Amino acid sequence: MLKFFDLERIDAKKRSGGERVKDFKEIYEVFPVNKAAEQSERCIQCGDPYCHNKCPLHNLIPQWLKSTAGKDLELAFALSNQPSPFPEVLGKICPHDRLCEGDCTLNDGHGAITIGSIETFITEEGFKQGMKPKFADKMTDKKVAIVGAGPAGLSAATFLLREGINVEIYDKQVRAGGLLTYGIPGFKLDKSVIERRVDLLKEAGAIFHQETEVGKDVSFDELQEKFDAVFIGVGATQGRASTIAGADAKESYLAMEFLTNIQKKLFGESYDESINVKDKKVVVVGGGDTAMDCVRTSLREKARSVECLYRRDANNMPGSKKEYINAKEEGVDFEFYASPKSVALDREGNVIGIDMIKTELGEPDESGRQRVQEVAGTEFRVEADVVIFALGFAPVKYPFLADNGIELDRWDGIVVNENYETSKSGIYAGGDCHRGADLVVTAALDGREAAKAIVSKLLA
Amino acid sequence: MQDLFTSFKDNCGFGLLASIDNKPSHKNLEDAITSLSRMMHRGAVAADGKSGDGSGLLLSMPKSFMVKEAKKQGIVLPKQYAVAMIFSTNSSELDVFEKYCKRNDLTIIMTRDVPIDTNALGEYALNALPAITQVFVAPDSIMSFSRFEALIYLTRKETEFKLKDNADFYIPSFSTNTISYKGLVMPTHIKEFYKDLQNKDFKISFCLFHQRFSTNTLPQWKLAQPFRNIAHNGEINSVEANRFNVMAKAGAITSEVFTKPELDRILRIIIQDGMSDSASLDNFFEFLQVNGVDFFKTARSLLPAPWQNAPHMDPELRAFYEYRSTCFEPWDGPAAVSMTDGRFIGCVIDRNGLRPSKYIITKDKKLLITSEYGVLDIPASNMLERGRLQSGEMMGLDLKSGKVLKNEDINNYLKSKEPYNDWLSENMIYLQEQVDSIVTTIDEIKKEDLESKQRYFNITHEVIDQIIEPMLKDGKEATGSMGDDTPLAAFSSKQRNFSDFFKQKFAQVTNPPIDPIREKVVMSLNTGFGETRNILEDGAHHTHRLKAGSPILSKEKIDVLLEYGDERSPRFEASYKAKSYDTTFTTDLKTSLEALVTTITSEVENEGIRTILLDDRAVNAENKSIPMAMLVGRLNKVLLQKKLRHLVSIVTVTGEVYDAHMAALMLGFGATAIYPYLLFSTIATIVRKDDPEIDLTESIKKIRAALNGGLMKIMSKMGIATMASYRNSALFDVLGLSGDIVDECFHGARGLIRGLTYADIEERLTKYHAHAYNRGNSLYPLNIGGYYKYLDGEEYHDYAPSTVHAIHQASKSGKKKDFEALKNIINKRDKKYIRDYFEFNSKKESISIDEVESKEKIFKRFATAAMSLGSISPEAHECMAEAMNTIGGMSNSGEGGEDSIRFGTIKNSRIKQIASGRFGVTPAYLRSADELQIKVAQGAKPGEGGQLPGHKVTKLIGRLRHTTPGVTLISPPPHHDIYSIEDLAQLIYDMKQINPKAQVAVKLVSTIGVGTIAAGVAKAYADKIIISGADGGTGAAQLGSIKFAGNPWELGLIEAHNALKANGLRGQVKVETDGGLKTGLDVVKAAILGAESYAFGTGALTILGCKILRICHLNRCSVGIATQEEKLRDYYEGTVERLINYFTLLADDVREILAELGYNSMEEIIGQTHLLKVIDDEFAKKFDFESLLVDLEGDNTNNVEFNEPYDKNEFEQEIVKEVMPTIKNPNDSIVLNKKISNLNRSFGTRISGEIAQYYGDKGLPECAIRLNLTGTAGQSLGAFLSNGVSIYVNGAGNDYVGKGMSGGRIVITNELAGEKYSLAGNTCLYGATGGKLYVTGQVGERFAVRNSGCTAIVEGTGDHPCEYMTGGVVIILGKTGMNFGAGMTGGVAFVYDTEHEFIEKINPELVEARRIDTDDTDTERYYLKKLLKDYYKETNSAKAKDILDNFRVEIRNFWIVRPKDMMSRPLKIEEGE
Repeated sequence: MLKFFDLERIDAKKRSGGERVKDFKEIYEVFPVNKAAEQSERCIQCGDPYCHNKCPLHNLIPQWLKSTAGKDLELAFALSNQPSPFPEVLGKICPHDRLCEGDCTLNDGHGAITIGSIETFITEEGFKQGMKPKFADKMTDKKVAIVGAGPAGLSAATFLLREGINVEIYDKQVRAGGLLTYGIPGFKLDKSVIERRVDLLKEAGAIFHQETEVGKDVSFDELQEKFDAVFIGVGATQGRASTIAGADAKESYLAMEFLTNIQKKLFGESYDESINVKDKKVVVVGGGDTAMDCVRTSLREKARSVECLYRRDANNMPGSKKEYINAKEEGVDFEFYASPKSVALDREGNVIGIDMIKTELGEPDESGRQRVQEVAGTEFRVEADVVIFALGFAPVKYPFLADNGIELDRWDGIVVNENYETSKSGIYAGGDCHRGADLVVTAALDGREAAKAIVSKLLA
Repeated sequence: MQDLFTSFKDNCGFGLLASIDNKPSHKNLEDAITSLSRMMHRGAVAADGKSGDGSGLLLSMPKSFMVKEAKKQGIVLPKQYAVAMIFSTNSSELDVFEKYCKRNDLTIIMTRDVPIDTNALGEYALNALPAITQVFVAPDSIMSFSRFEALIYLTRKETEFKLKDNADFYIPSFSTNTISYKGLVMPTHIKEFYKDLQNKDFKISFCLFHQRFSTNTLPQWKLAQPFRNIAHNGEINSVEANRFNVMAKAGAITSEVFTKPELDRILRIIIQDGMSDSASLDNFFEFLQVNGVDFFKTARSLLPAPWQNAPHMDPELRAFYEYRSTCFEPWDGPAAVSMTDGRFIGCVIDRNGLRPSKYIITKDKKLLITSEYGVLDIPASNMLERGRLQSGEMMGLDLKSGKVLKNEDINNYLKSKEPYNDWLSENMIYLQEQVDSIVTTIDEIKKEDLESKQRYFNITHEVIDQIIEPMLKDGKEATGSMGDDTPLAAFSSKQRNFSDFFKQKFAQVTNPPIDPIREKVVMSLNTGFGETRNILEDGAHHTHRLKAGSPILSKEKIDVLLEYGDERSPRFEASYKAKSYDTTFTTDLKTSLEALVTTITSEVENEGIRTILLDDRAVNAENKSIPMAMLVGRLNKVLLQKKLRHLVSIVTVTGEVYDAHMAALMLGFGATAIYPYLLFSTIATIVRKDDPEIDLTESIKKIRAALNGGLMKIMSKMGIATMASYRNSALFDVLGLSGDIVDECFHGARGLIRGLTYADIEERLTKYHAHAYNRGNSLYPLNIGGYYKYLDGEEYHDYAPSTVHAIHQASKSGKKKDFEALKNIINKRDKKYIRDYFEFNSKKESISIDEVESKEKIFKRFATAAMSLGSISPEAHECMAEAMNTIGGMSNSGEGGEDSIRFGTIKNSRIKQIASGRFGVTPAYLRSADELQIKVAQGAKPGEGGQLPGHKVTKLIGRLRHTTPGVTLISPPPHHDIYSIEDLAQLIYDMKQINPKAQVAVKLVSTIGVGTIAAGVAKAYADKIIISGADGGTGAAQLGSIKFAGNPWELGLIEAHNALKANGLRGQVKVETDGGLKTGLDVVKAAILGAESYAFGTGALTILGCKILRICHLNRCSVGIATQEEKLRDYYEGTVERLINYFTLLADDVREILAELGYNSMEEIIGQTHLLKVIDDEFAKKFDFESLLVDLEGDNTNNVEFNEPYDKNEFEQEIVKEVMPTIKNPNDSIVLNKKISNLNRSFGTRISGEIAQYYGDKGLPECAIRLNLTGTAGQSLGAFLSNGVSIYVNGAGNDYVGKGMSGGRIVITNELAGEKYSLAGNTCLYGATGGKLYVTGQVGERFAVRNSGCTAIVEGTGDHPCEYMTGGVVIILGKTGMNFGAGMTGGVAFVYDTEHEFIEKINPELVEARRIDTDDTDTERYYLKKLLKDYYKETNSAKAKDILDNFRVEIRNFWIVRPKDMMSRPLKIEEGE
């Protein structure tokens, strides 16, 4: 270990920008064994493992880095899969530069450990060598219903099955995975990766009820009756609509609507053919990871040009730096310090552009983030055929929640106590439907912690 | 805790004087008293010059005087009589004595009130003065002389037992041939006090004398020495074990001298309670003597020479020692003991030569043995021999035949008494010999069972990674760095080992730790099994023992042990009959414990069980185990009470041992050996991962080596050399367990914060058990850990990531809101540390913060803790100095020296540290300080030394430490000039001479008993005492030391502050504390508990950007602090501003709290414990915190500027005046002729300090000041000598000649010169950095230890020469002692060896000896010749002349010794190597 002194940080190899926009395949290669070991050896094994501390799941990062360095893959696999429901997924899509790698001791000039890539390597390589996360040898007679097959639901299912609790998962989509399947584009996360996890859960005894919407196809009462507990992980898929004039135009989309549609198209499922960016000038408003997904998807959908507009600058983008760089490499134009005022339409109501105003950063607010101020008299227009708003998401107010007396907060998030239990006993919730739009890793955390609470209650 | 404040330890000056042909004279008495008086500086003296800690004389019976005194009363003394010297407080006590005399057929023929003059006493002594009576006793019927002597002893023992509650009743002596005159009187006044001693008729033929230095100021009459048979200078470190073992052995004793009932009456009180370690040794010595055990045999049984690992020891002598080891374990520790039984007189030195003992034989047939030379003026013409005792040696005198017996004579006598070799060969069985298989195996445990057990016994992933794998890799205990920031086990809510409740004891000040690596020759882990038989009787039967080299057994060895204990085995012998006892239980810990102990004791008694195996392998889903140490300790105590302990050996078969601390705990409370099956199985799973068939032999060997090394480290930390003496020693502090548990199971140990009961422990065990066995499924079977390094959701760490971020933020911004964020984390951590259990309790109204003293005043109380340049980078080191100097606080150089260009600038560290390595401790360094801090112990690793690996020794560090870059530098565990409290007093005295303007501080580590030490340190004239918490950091230490030695600062501070108060010493000294202080709350609480100033170590580094990586020992610190790598130092982000920001925020925080409490200044709250109260909390109620809030009368803060020594050194102050013109005009050289005596200590140091003040280490031109002295100089002659000062002594020196000398020259010559004559004492040249030392005789032990630049020529040395040497040249023209060049990493030595025995004296680990008589050693040869010529020119040495005259021939007898890895490098002559 401690090789940081002689060895530079090296990221996983990625395909060239020009090459990779031609398809939806993942852009990063998985580390070869020696590279993973070598990069792991850079780790200091701190007395205060900041990476582990910063990780919402508190992944055992230094521990599995050391076993990877020692080429003890079996140990690394066990350590990595122990607290995490799908490390190979999070290794790809977590904003590592804001979490583990951002807080890595070496991230002050030496170059953080490539934690994400190594995390992916461990489980990918492990699967390749035939390793499998272990589930309970014997099932109990307890049953839990999970509503939503997204990250929170899959995480809960994983940790319940480990303790021998039967799970049945109800999900309205054709395929399981929620946001992981329909929200995150394949060039970041190959769809087979999720399928593999779903298959493992099935193998462990999980029953998936796809295209089954609670409150529609199955009643919530039925779940309550049939199961010892219910976990709700229905996400926050309600795109935050822009309030500016013209935002309701036909060629003005919300990010998730756009991404899901393209994904369905790629799956060959039924989709809205009117959403199409081919040969068009696309403008995406927003600076988060979803905005990056939209711009990069647009490129792969053969848009003529893609531009991203954001109120602050590159350093203040809320998403992962890596994604910004990837987008730039792939040919996206960025316009910073620009805030939308209205969508410009022609007489037919077709989008012709977006009217913007320049901004600047002012005093920091309570959270320490600088406020955005518009600069008077700096209005300008960006031409566009399609405008996509990636301004965040909110939970959907599913009727069955209110009908069953499940308390929501003022942002429509489900209120839970420290055991992830909602105001209704035996009903648990977690993930975006509780927090509002957040990271996959926090959803995974909620699923895990809720599962633990359910286990200790049911198996007490 | 209260009783701790007044407890004591003692050290001293001692000696004996005897007329070899046993001729009584009054002159003998007068000489003895003169000798004693001239060692007064070795005792403590109060300001009135009368009050001391006691002194005394044990004299041969002055028969003619007694006859005359009897005549005065009209009594004719019979031929057979004995005199009892009695201290009593009322006459009924004498009645009791008389009653027992009568009962034992003795009659009192005369009673005499001893005439005294109370004017000789100080006030305290006068108040405590007992009635002093001599009672003359004779046989009441016809009886043999030996029967009479036996009855005298019996009578005294019975009287002592009867009056054991009368604390002041004491019988100093009761004998036919000796009498004791002692008391709380100074040696200078003893004659005035005891008028008898003035009487010319008072004639004696021998005298043992002693002056005591007690650490407390409440000495007692009865504690003055000598005792009835011995006078002891030193400390018995293993005394708890020795006392226990005496009681255990007593179970088998039958006597030819006493009847069974008589013996029973004696055995009740062999060892008197409430007495010192020396008194206990005396008690046992006397018991053996009275029972007819040979005098020399007794001496060498209790104080054996090191025999187990001494190379080339005479096999017959070794057999004698091995034979005696079946009955006796060493009374281990620094000791110079003089002893007598009336016929023989002897003196023994401990196995490691830690106390000085020098002898002179005169032509007029006197033998004088004393701590120092020069205590009696003996003209050279009368001198026959002048020598000293070497490590483990004894010398004696047979008064009857008038023969002096040297070590060789005594050894020859001892070894030939019985056929020890034959006895051993026939009966002693060595387990290793009986092992048939060469392949090591283990107990195979199934995977599931193993994993559950690993969880139950807390073998976590972290333990495997941090503790076990390093042992497996290197065969050594794992190294770590920084401090321990986790809570005590008692306060933790996480799974902790039972052993975590125990903190190892360590030696500081009153006794030295040992270096178990470099001085391995004295260490031994030898372990024996089988009964202990009647120790009074000799015979082959004692040798029926099974032996192992270490108490850590492999499977093969325990199997052999079991075969000898198994009735079905052909090897069975009844005295090893074994039985295994399951130590698991399901419910009710306490009842289960008692039931098991009852079963075992009854089976020992009734079924002849002799080997008890305590086995926890039955732990499973239903059963948990009784904590093994608890069971061992309880069983040990009950077996002792039932007088069965001597019959059995206790072997633990346990999952509870995976490190040396856990093993030591069991051994310390009575286990004979340990089979750590779970550790071995764990290892098997690790090494068999890749190859399931692999042979485990090597792996198990490594683990055992690591554990053995760890055990030796733990023992040596307390200055104990052998496992036999460590076993039963109870050398642990118990923190957080209830009084019941401590009393019942941990006999001999002390507990504090008494709290958790058996039920609480059971509750915790139940929790761990449930977690281990009902954990649910997980991919990784073990718990992850979090005890050594932070892990989320696991054990609390006070430097967690969020805390570190907060400290960084606050120090960078200097904003209050950021400091508040930190306070939010720290002040709300909730019951993690002792201080968290106290809250404020001020009755005063809050005041405005404007009324509180300024932050500048508070800054004066802040210091950064010692961190050497070497452990941290120059950038960080200088940054702290500049910041602290800017705000008016103090920074600390640490022990690595400091660049002289920093002296006098803003980058000068105001505190200069003096540690055991003495790196770069030069006159200028010492003179540049406002505080000189003597580091006796370090929180992270008290009782241990350190090492700066060669790769960290850059050019700069090499220069500052006066050594070659790349050379590994070793700091020894002890200061080799502090083996006892009077030694510390001497070092403090040295410091006060070299820099009279500096405060001398002594840094101690918190442990139970530190109050006693603190009081002693105050009496040794320190100005400041620092109590460090055990949580202090380090650049590198073994993890077991970081975690398990020493206590939190709160306990030590409370004890020290109050012990100083109880002894009336608090006003004399300042008190400082350190240990994890972060916020104002921490600081204010420390103040209220008694600290006047506060130091910050890890905290200060964190402010500078440290991220608590815990990799300081790896030179890879990524933030450029704990590293010397240039590349990494570029990443250093610390600034002076950050430190100032933080300390400003902290001082303001303190001011806010003061305002809230209603106080204007810190001074007003220091020691005001009423300002705290215990928090109202359920969990807090479990523990005894109330007793920590002590409120004694007396000063709470220091009220003198300096704690002035009694000895003002007027002698040298006068000389300073005379040489001042030369110091002013260096070219006006001066020569002075003076007489000197041993009372003139540290001579030359004061002058050197003056020179350094103006000229730094450059000093004056060569020989600017020449001082010609005649006589015997006192200790520390020429200490820290500056360039330009030459000291020529015609006479002799004592200990520490040339200590720390930086330049100049010391030449000691004598008419009686050469190898046979000792001309200087121990530890000469310790830490010297330059100059020249020529001695035309022999010098003592540890010559040139840590020399880094001096050129020295002497004509013989004691043991351990050139230890840890890193530079300089040493030429020895004669014999050397053993262990030459241990830890020597630099420099060169030439040894003249005509007898061809030198090679055996070398410690070959690092150095190599070569011949220099070939062509390619030309340089060496002529270099040597050049030096010898100069030596001859200066000294006229006859030996040098002989060698030079025959150089071509004599060169064949020289060896050159250099470190192996330096051999290839050319000698750098111009650099003094």
